[in-house]
Amino acid sequence: MEQKQIRNIVQIILVLTGVVFLFWWLNNDPTDEFTESLPGLDNQGKGDTIVENIIIGEHFKLFSSEYKKLNETWPRFRGSEFDNISKSPVKLKEKFGAEGPDILWSLDLGEGHSGAAIYKGLVYLLDYDEANRADMLRCFSLTDGVELWRRWYNVSVKRNHGMSRTVPAVTDKYIVTIGPRSHVMCVERENGNFKWGIDVEKDYHSEVPFWYTGQCPLIDNGKAIIATGGDALMIAVDCETGEIAWKTPNPKEWKMSHSSIMPFEFGGRRMYVYSAIGGLCGIAADGPDAGTVLWEAPAWTHSVIAPSPVCMPDGRIFLTAGYGAGSMVVQLSENNGVFSVEVLDEYSPRQGLACEQQTPVYLSGHLFGIMPKDGGALRNQLVCVSPSDTKKIIWSSGKEARFGLGPYFIADNKFFILSDDAVLTIIRPSTKKYIPIEQVKIIEDAHDAWAPLAIADGYLVLRDSKRMVCIDMRL
Amino acid sequence: MGKKAKNRREFIQSGMRMSLGLVVGGLGALSLKHVTKDEWVWQIDPFECTQCGRCATNCVMSPSAVKCIHAYDLCGYCNLCGGYFKPDANKLSTAAENQLCPTAAIQRRYIEKPYFEYVIDEDLCIGCAKCVKGCTSFGNGSLHLQVMHNICLNCNECSIARVCPSHAIKRVKAADAYIVKGDFSKGGKT
Repeated sequence: MEQKQIRNIVQIILVLTGVVFLFWWLNNDPTDEFTESLPGLDNQGKGDTIVENIIIGEHFKLFSSEYKKLNETWPRFRGSEFDNISKSPVKLKEKFGAEGPDILWSLDLGEGHSGAAIYKGLVYLLDYDEANRADMLRCFSLTDGVELWRRWYNVSVKRNHGMSRTVPAVTDKYIVTIGPRSHVMCVERENGNFKWGIDVEKDYHSEVPFWYTGQCPLIDNGKAIIATGGDALMIAVDCETGEIAWKTPNPKEWKMSHSSIMPFEFGGRRMYVYSAIGGLCGIAADGPDAGTVLWEAPAWTHSVIAPSPVCMPDGRIFLTAGYGAGSMVVQLSENNGVFSVEVLDEYSPRQGLACEQQTPVYLSGHLFGIMPKDGGALRNQLVCVSPSDTKKIIWSSGKEARFGLGPYFIADNKFFILSDDAVLTIIRPSTKKYIPIEQVKIIEDAHDAWAPLAIADGYLVLRDSKRMVCIDMRL
Repeated sequence: MGKKAKNRREFIQSGMRMSLGLVVGGLGALSLKHVTKDEWVWQIDPFECTQCGRCATNCVMSPSAVKCIHAYDLCGYCNLCGGYFKPDANKLSTAAENQLCPTAAIQRRYIEKPYFEYVIDEDLCIGCAKCVKGCTSFGNGSLHLQVMHNICLNCNECSIARVCPSHAIKRVKAADAYIVKGDFSKGGKT
């Protein structure tokens, strides 16, 4: 064979090979073995057809009416002035000595994180009774833990990081509760007589937040103030009659969060500041326009928000949330009755003060809070910042003093912090440095001690996920 | 005929042979004992792990012999799973943009309201620990890393252990080759 022929054959083979390769290359999809991750692959929502007939406040049982009447109150979430600072003059212990804390009583509860409200010698708690499958408002004597009465309604709540969540709101006349599945109940405080109930999820086509409702109710001027989401952003309900006093429209379809409504007075107006899933808002609390939106800040939007807004006298509002959200500081301004909001700062949890579950405390012009687990080197530490620069940490408790998702508050000029495993730490509040005083284990084998603390007349009530105790803290 | 008496040279030679035989036999027995009873393998202590991500990049195997495993008895079966979803995800759906895992190695399955199950696809897992970090930060810490001994070469000097900042990779006895969270039966930590 001649050399020319060989060359031609080779060229033909090469061309044919090239054509075959080009054909293969054009027709081959290198991603054809990939699996697309599309919405709905988890079959979410299939098979939820059970509808319960829930009769709010249906059952009642009276056990006793004997209790020692006292003077002070801790009437709701974050206390009487919504700041988590007790104003009681009662002097409290700061050292427990070798014998440990004086635990007056302890009792088993349904698994959860609902906190106590205290009213003149009585403790009110919205427990979840696992045996009866019921939201159960229970009234105890503060000094000895004896149960006086309970009112309940059957509702199926499955274990989901505990069941109960909220702190009742208590006034001289009424108690208002919100259950895990957003059932609002109002009863007479003294005898537990049922007044009215609202199924928020059903009546307002609302959505119960992840891990159940964490919003603690508010009673203001005889009205229960509830952030419903769904058909309304917020409602006011007359406690005596159960009639809706006003209803804030919700055209942007903001949803209910775990955050609670914080009353605030600024620019000559009383308002309810609420951190919804969708944005932050200020709702007129009184006047002819009660229930209308005075201002809103849609820039603050995260899928889970548990801490409540911290409103400061100069109109700054500190906002924080967990699950990677971080924090935001906004400045509220008022001009001729018109309110506006400016975002001053926004940052990730590694960059400054942030909290996942509890609301920071504002004291002596400073903010104190426990950093979340994704807070970098400061994770789970108590930190102090100035509201003028919440990214600049003035002090932190140090890597040897880490806490968790548990509550903290101030009483008798002492800072009380409860860790997840129910270790109570007492520190001296300071804007200069971390000053520990005492640390003691309160509940053995405790888990998830996340419920807010309550104190009145020197009696401190706290709990872990399954057990509540009362400590006599009086000197 | 009477037995021939050993001279000094023969006595020393036989003594040396016996000593050598004893030494070799002893060493062999010792090494056999190690292999069968006290072999040591590498494992991650999940309680020391800080989810730095180096297990994915420093193992001599590719993909890494370190995989995520799931302690179901610790899991909260949450809708919002910090191990599955990116922080502050737009929507809690299985869409790719919401998932934290770079290889989609976690399957999310709806059980009943409000529970979801999260299953690790070991073949896809690269041991990056992103899900472990999310689960530890926001959940019960049920997702955790382990060295899988069907993949691990059990190197004399583990290349991950050399760079592990928290010294979480340790030698453990082959008889207890895994340090699994939620293993209450062995008195382990949870």
